[in-house]
This record gives sequence, C-alpha cells and structure tokens, in this order.
Amino acid sequence: MIHVSQLKKTYSDLQQGEFVALNGISFDAMPGQIYGLLGPNGAGKTTALRILSTVLKPTSGTATINGYDVVKEPAQVRHQIGFVSTNTAIYDRMTAWEIIRFFGLLYGMPAEELQIRMEVIFERFQMNNIRHILGSAMSTGMKQKVSIARAIIHDPPVLIFDEATSGLDILVSREVLKTIERLKEQGKCILFSSHIMSEVHRLCDQVAILNRGELLAEGTIHELSNRYKQSDLEELFFNLIASHNEDREPVNTLV
Amino acid sequence: MKWSNVSLIYCRELRDQLRDRRTLFTVLILPLLLYPLMGISLLQVSQFMREYPTRIWLIGADQLPDSPALLIDQKINPALLDLRTRELLHIETSEDDDSRFRGLIEPFAERPPKAVSEMIERLVRNDMQQRNVDLAVIVPHARDASGAGQANARFQDRILLFRNSASDKSNIAADRFKAALGKWQAEITGSMLRAHQLDPQLLAPVSVIETDVASRKNRSAALWSKVLPLIIVVWCLTGAFYPAVDLCAGEKERGTFETLLSSPARRDEIAIGKLLTVMSFSIITSLLNLISMAFTGFLVASRLGAGMAPAMGIGVPPLACFGWLLLALLPISALFSAVAMAAASFARSSKEGQYYLVPLMMISLPLMMLPMLPAAKLDLGTSLIPVSGLMLMLRGLIEGNYQECIPFAGPVCAVTLIGCWLAVRWVVRQFNSEAVLFRSSERFGIATWAKHVMRERDDLPSIGHALLCGIVILVLKFFVGAMIAAPASWAEFSKQTMIVLIATVGTPAVLMAIVLTRNPLKSLKLQKVRLSWIAAALLLAFCLHPLFTWITSIVLQLYPPTTDMAVTQQLLDTILSGSPGVWAIIVVIAIAPAILEELAFRGFILSGMQSIRSNFKAIILTSILFGVAHAVFQQSIVTFFVGCVLGFIAVRTGSIFPCIAYHAVHNSVFAFITCNGPSLLDGPFGWLFSCNDGTYVAYRFWPSVMLTSLGGMLLLWIWEQSSRRSTTPLASQPHTGREETFTFWTKRTLFP
Repeated sequence: MIHVSQLKKTYSDLQQGEFVALNGISFDAMPGQIYGLLGPNGAGKTTALRILSTVLKPTSGTATINGYDVVKEPAQVRHQIGFVSTNTAIYDRMTAWEIIRFFGLLYGMPAEELQIRMEVIFERFQMNNIRHILGSAMSTGMKQKVSIARAIIHDPPVLIFDEATSGLDILVSREVLKTIERLKEQGKCILFSSHIMSEVHRLCDQVAILNRGELLAEGTIHELSNRYKQSDLEELFFNLIASHNEDREPVNTLV
Repeated sequence: MKWSNVSLIYCRELRDQLRDRRTLFTVLILPLLLYPLMGISLLQVSQFMREYPTRIWLIGADQLPDSPALLIDQKINPALLDLRTRELLHIETSEDDDSRFRGLIEPFAERPPKAVSEMIERLVRNDMQQRNVDLAVIVPHARDASGAGQANARFQDRILLFRNSASDKSNIAADRFKAALGKWQAEITGSMLRAHQLDPQLLAPVSVIETDVASRKNRSAALWSKVLPLIIVVWCLTGAFYPAVDLCAGEKERGTFETLLSSPARRDEIAIGKLLTVMSFSIITSLLNLISMAFTGFLVASRLGAGMAPAMGIGVPPLACFGWLLLALLPISALFSAVAMAAASFARSSKEGQYYLVPLMMISLPLMMLPMLPAAKLDLGTSLIPVSGLMLMLRGLIEGNYQECIPFAGPVCAVTLIGCWLAVRWVVRQFNSEAVLFRSSERFGIATWAKHVMRERDDLPSIGHALLCGIVILVLKFFVGAMIAAPASWAEFSKQTMIVLIATVGTPAVLMAIVLTRNPLKSLKLQKVRLSWIAAALLLAFCLHPLFTWITSIVLQLYPPTTDMAVTQQLLDTILSGSPGVWAIIVVIAIAPAILEELAFRGFILSGMQSIRSNFKAIILTSILFGVAHAVFQQSIVTFFVGCVLGFIAVRTGSIFPCIAYHAVHNSVFAFITCNGPSLLDGPFGWLFSCNDGTYVAYRFWPSVMLTSLGGMLLLWIWEQSSRRSTTPLASQPHTGREETFTFWTKRTLFP
C-alpha cells in the first residue's frame, strides 16, 4: 500500500548549510496496518509524511502509495490519501459543514453522494452540534474532529496522521486514537507519527524509529524488544537515539 | 487545469474574505467612509479658504497725490483694484504716527543706514503687533515732480512697505496692496508721459487678450482624466494587497495552506483560484473608491457653490469615462493582483507580508506618477511602458481624444497583456516553489551569514551572488556618479572614467569572485580560448555595428533625447576634441570599459545567472542588468541588445576574451565615426557611409544589410564551432561555468 525506498530530502539552511532532513529511509506499510514513525523533534517524520502527501518533493528515492508514484503521479496520490497533522489547521471563517463539503467537492465527489457521506460522518463523529459553527469558535477537540472528518470524506485507502494528538487534552486524544483504531478495522493503511510512546505502543503494528533523518530500527514492538533486549519501548527508544547521537555532533536545538 | 477546482477555490476564498472584518473594512467600508469624511473636511476647510480681510496701516496718507488717487475715502481707488479685493483691504491711518516715522525716514534720500533701518523695523514691528495690522506702509513727504511740466505736481519717489513674511495674512495683504500700487504707478507714468506730449500706450504697445476656449465639459474632463486613472491604479494595488497577504501569508500562518496543498487541487489551480479572488477585491475596492469619490465630489461641488467649484476644477466627469475606466480595470487589477500575490506568497506571516506593501508601492509609484507629468503624452515610446502607457491612454480617452489614442491601442494592450501574463506566471511559479511556500524563519546575523557564505562557496557564483554583484554595481555607480563633478577637460574626463570603471564595475566583480567562489578565474570566465574565436568576435563587432546604429536610431525616434542629453553630448564632443588623439579615446572609452565591464557582466554575473540552467534566461537577465547599469534610458535599451550578443559569445565560447575583443571594437568604431565625421566619405570606408546634411554620417542601406548578414553567418559559425567542442547541449550540462560570458561605451551609440 505504502512503499518507500531510499527516500532522501535535503534543504539549504543558513545555519547549517546543506541540511539532510531524510537520509535514504525505506519502509513498507500494508492495508489494515498502523505503521508508526517514532522520533524526536527534527528526526524527519514530518518531512517524510509531507513527501508522501505530495506537499514536498524528495531530493532522491521513490515512494508509492497504492501503486502511484508521489513525484510522477501526485494527483492520483492525493486521491488515495487523507492527511491530518498538527500543522493542518481548519479554516477559521468557515463552518464545519462548509469545510468538509469544500474538500469533498475538491475530491470530485458527486453532490448527492457527498451529502449522504457527510451526514454519515457528522453522525458517526457526533458533529451535528457544530455543523454551523465557524472554525474560529470551535474548541481544539472540535477542530481535530473536523480535520479527521475532512481527511476521510473521500474514503481514502491511506491515512496519514502527523502527530495528530499533539497539544490535545487526554479526552480528545483518546477519542482521536479510538477513531484511528476504527479506521484500521475498516482496512485502511495508516501512517502514524508521534513521539508519545504510550500511543505508539497502543496503536502501532509496525514501528520505525527515526533520528536525524535516518531510520535506526524497524519492526513490530515485540521484534524490537527482542532485538534490543528491552521490553520498555521508551527505554528502547531513548537508548537507540542516545547511541546514535553519540556517534555524531551534539544537536544544536537552540537556533 | 481543472476549472471546477479553480471555481471551488475562488468561491471559498471569496466567502472567507467576505467574512473577514479586517479585509471588509479595508476593501469595502474604508472607501465608503473615506471620501465622505474627506468631503466633510474639505467643506470645513473651505470656510477657512475664504478670503479674509487684511488690515493695512498707512502712515503719511496726506502726502499722496489727489490725481491719480491711490485712496478715495480711506479705501483703495476703485479704478486700481477689483471691488472684491478692495473690500478686503482695510486701511487705517493715524496722523499721530506720521511725523514720528517720517522724521526718521525723510532725512535719508535713499535707504537709511543699517542702524536706523533696524530701529525703524523694530518700531514698526512693535506697532504692527499692537495695532494688529498685517501690513505697514510709510509714505514719506511728496517731492516736486521736477520735469513733469506741471508746477503743482508732487509725487512720491518711494513708498515703504513693512510686511511680516512669516505671516500668510501679511503676505496676502502685501500682494493685494502691491497690485493696487502697480496700477497706480502706471497711472502716474501715464500722466507724466502725457505731460511730455507722449502717448501712454508707448509703455504697452501690444495688448494681450486671453480667452479660454475649452468648454466647461472639457475643462472638467481635463481634471478628471488625470485624477481618475490614478485613483483606479492606486486602489487596484491597495485593494489587492490585503487580500493577497491574507490568502497567502495568512494561510501559511494559520496552517491551512498545507491542507489545501495536500488536496487534489493542483498548485496552479490554487494559485489561479486565489488570484481571481484577489482580483475581485481589487476591482471592487477600485470601483467603490471611484463611486464614493464621484458621489462625494458632486456633493462637495454643489455645496461649494457655482463659483467656487469650477474655480477649483471640480465638475461633473464625462459619463463615457466610467466605461473606459471599467474596461481598464480588468487588466490593471490582474497585473497588480498577481504582483501582490507573488510578493505576499514569499512572506511567512501576515505581518511580514504587510512589510512588502511599501516597497511594492515605491516600485509602482514612478509608473503611476509618470502620466501625471505635464509633458507626458501618449506616443509609441510611452505606450510601451507598463501601467504608464495604459494610464496615458485612459487620460486621452477620458478627454475624448480618440484619434490620438487609437493608433497606440495595440502596443498598450500588448504590453499590458504581456505584463499580466508574466505576473500570473510568477504567481504560479511561487506556488510551485517549496523554498517559497515552506520558507523557514531563520535568524539572520552577519557572522552567521558570513560563515554560511564561506562554507557554501562553490566553484562558480550562484544567481544570488550575480544579483548582488549587479545591485552593488548599480548602487556604487549611482553614488560615485552623484559625487563627481562634470569633467571640463580631457584629462579630467579620462581620469574620472577610469576611476568610475575600476571602482564601481571591475573591483566589485573581482572581489566577489575571490571571496564568494572557490575558482575566481573560472567565475570571471578568464579561460583560454581559440584565437579564431577572438578574430571572429573582432570581425563580428564590425559587421553588427550598422545593425546597432539602426537600433539606436529607432530607440531615439521612440524616446527622443532630452535637451539635457543633447547638451551633455555636446560637452562630451568638446571634451573628446581635446584628446591627444584617437588612440587615447579608444583606450578610455573602448578598451578600459571592454575589460572591466566584461569582467563584471559576462564574467561574474553571467556565470552566476547560468546557475538557473537556462543559458537563454541567463543572457537575458545579464543583459537587463547590463542595460540598467547605463544610466541613460535610451542607452540602456541599445545596451541590452548588445549585451545579448555579448552574452551569446560568452556562453558559446566559455570565455570573456572574445567578448572583450567584440566590446572594444564596437566602442572603437563609434569613437572612430564620431571623431572623423563626414571626412570618412573621402577615405577607404567611403563606400559604407553617406552624409545627408554635411554633418550627420550614416551607414548606407545595402552595405549595412551585407555586413549584418555576414555578422549573422559569423554568429552561426561560433554556434557551430562551439557545439563541436561539446557533444552535449550546454544547458543540460552541470553548472561548471565552462560555457559563458563583456561592456562598452554606449553613449556613442546613442548620439553617433
């Protein structure tokens, strides 16, 4: 469903010069599977997901989604994915209904089909009470619900969640995670990036640990525990990152 | 492009903007409130604009003659001043003061000594303040009009006015009184002439009668034709900018842009959808301003009264002008909307976006103000200037001068449409650029930047380095040019030319090549080259010279030289005539610029421009900079074309040596023709030139065609030879700087 091979992305940065955000990472994610991308800030998670959602172009390497190449067939790829991230806000001056209808129409859904689908989604997500509320008047939880509804309106086979629970309270986070689980049950292929271990532990079938643009480890949580002799995912993650950082210059987090 | 997506995005953005209170206020509410408020202010101010009475304190009124009389019943003689002004001059006299001041002044036949003058000034100033008068007038004792032939005639030989130049009322009082005095003096002169049996008309043998033949409608149109196009253009830009900032930078800031970019809408569809929204707001803002201004204008005109409005040039604008304005609105708003969007898309936040408004206005302002100049008129030259051409055409159409406008409709439309097309392309390009859309907010510091420059040095300069070099040259040329005085001799001229060339052109390029690149020789294109190419370039310069002379004459027809330019040219001719010989001229105006300008333009700048991997674009961009670096506008155009040829040679041969050869010969030929003039006809090159009026030497037609054709063949030969050198197309080769890049004295090209 998602096939990533030797994906590389470099930026030109005033501070660091040529900066490698992704250094040839490869992984595969299958339908009905939640694939977790785990890494500290600046690991390259968002860059990878932006490339997969065709927002950015890779410097080299390939990535396909449902058989469509993200560079050569970006239009087809966009129809296959729904993208939700902490950065993907909703329009302040549009109501929940208007936002989802706008994106549904952009996805080329016929008006009648869209109407039915929207009614179903608004019912399932219990969003009927915010149907006519402007984005600026919504709470963070409401906004995230609308974002997810917007991402699944066209029923895509692949969903990409980039730190989707970051900044949400525990109740809303729980609801978002439940939604993701339900989507998995529907057979969607889900790419989920986070740095919250408990979420990854709970949701992900496969995990890839990224640091400084490099893929340090990949496999199921059980496989990783066995491989690194560490049952606690957080400890495992910390040890991997620390040993990787030791081989390189210290990260200058303060710019 | 899927237009359904464009339409969806357009409708969404429009709705979004209509719900934004800030945009609504700037675009819709402000125009509706602004002009009525301005109108109210104008009406308030108009009360103060009424002519107020002024008070004059007249000392020695009894000394004034009875005939011709200056005063009648304590007022100015009605024969000397119109009734309205006369009523505004209140004259006060006081016999007590007469002796006091006259006693001080009369002992001196002419102006009193400084000390006395200062004392009188002080006294008068104090009295003026105490009496609250605007003007003091002292009439000394009248003297006998000796020689007037009238025994009892007594006239003043002087009248002293004391005014306070710091007070507008005092200045007005002085002007009013002097107007009366002028006529009174003429009357005195007339009576003196009559006393000598001379006709007073001798003083004004020709009477001038002035009549304004413009109809009221035309007078009104003349004012509106200047104001309305400016209003339209200014508000088109202003109305476009705020929505553009909100739709680009604002969306980035709010995080909604990424959502849209990951939707099925393509980048060009997003760009066009947003552009149409910005255009709509630009048009609506302009129209609302126009309507609000027209409505307020009519109301103010009617309130000001029948007399005052026409005096101020306010009248009903011709109805047809609104049709023309509406027609022009579409391309103007498209152009400004696209430019505003392209600039706003670069910004990371709304706040940063708003900083770009001022520079954008400053760049657009000269284009907007040019048509407002009294001498500006629509001709082929001005019609080719974006925005200005369209404004001049609008002006002509509003004034009803259709016959004058129609011939230039084609060029104006073509330039406007090309401008729109380029601007829209720019927007789409910006939306396709990751570097623009995801520009990170890096803190800028000189040390960080310097480290970055040194760390990122490459063999060849980047496009940024090339642009920086171009800007540095332009700025240095401006300041150095402003600081140095005009040369008066050949020695000064040659010294200044060399200093300017070395300091402003050669040095920046060489220094930048050393500091900013790892391979300065390659960056400056100082590469070995075949002698045959240098020989071909030398010959090419001879062959293409008639072509550039022809281009120069066309440019001078389109944009005739100003009087100042002709004077400068004459001065230059005089200076050149003082040179020690042709060789010296060639060294100063041909060889030196050839070396230094080629190092900078075809060397460093073209090398940097080639990093965009399109030799064609690199040559065009370098030639534009090369043209702009030559201060005279007409010269810049010709220089641009020469720059294209030089760029081609540099790119194909990969070295500036053939360019230096071409450049030096090109300038030398102009110098040679200028120095020799008509005497060329008697020499070995007589077959090539003709002389129409005994002074102006021009190339003959058929020899010119022959030479230009030969030049074309030489260019093809260079192309063919350089292609053999490399089996792969140059544009597709990695940016190594092999394939590049020269200047010349073009003042001579303009005024041969």
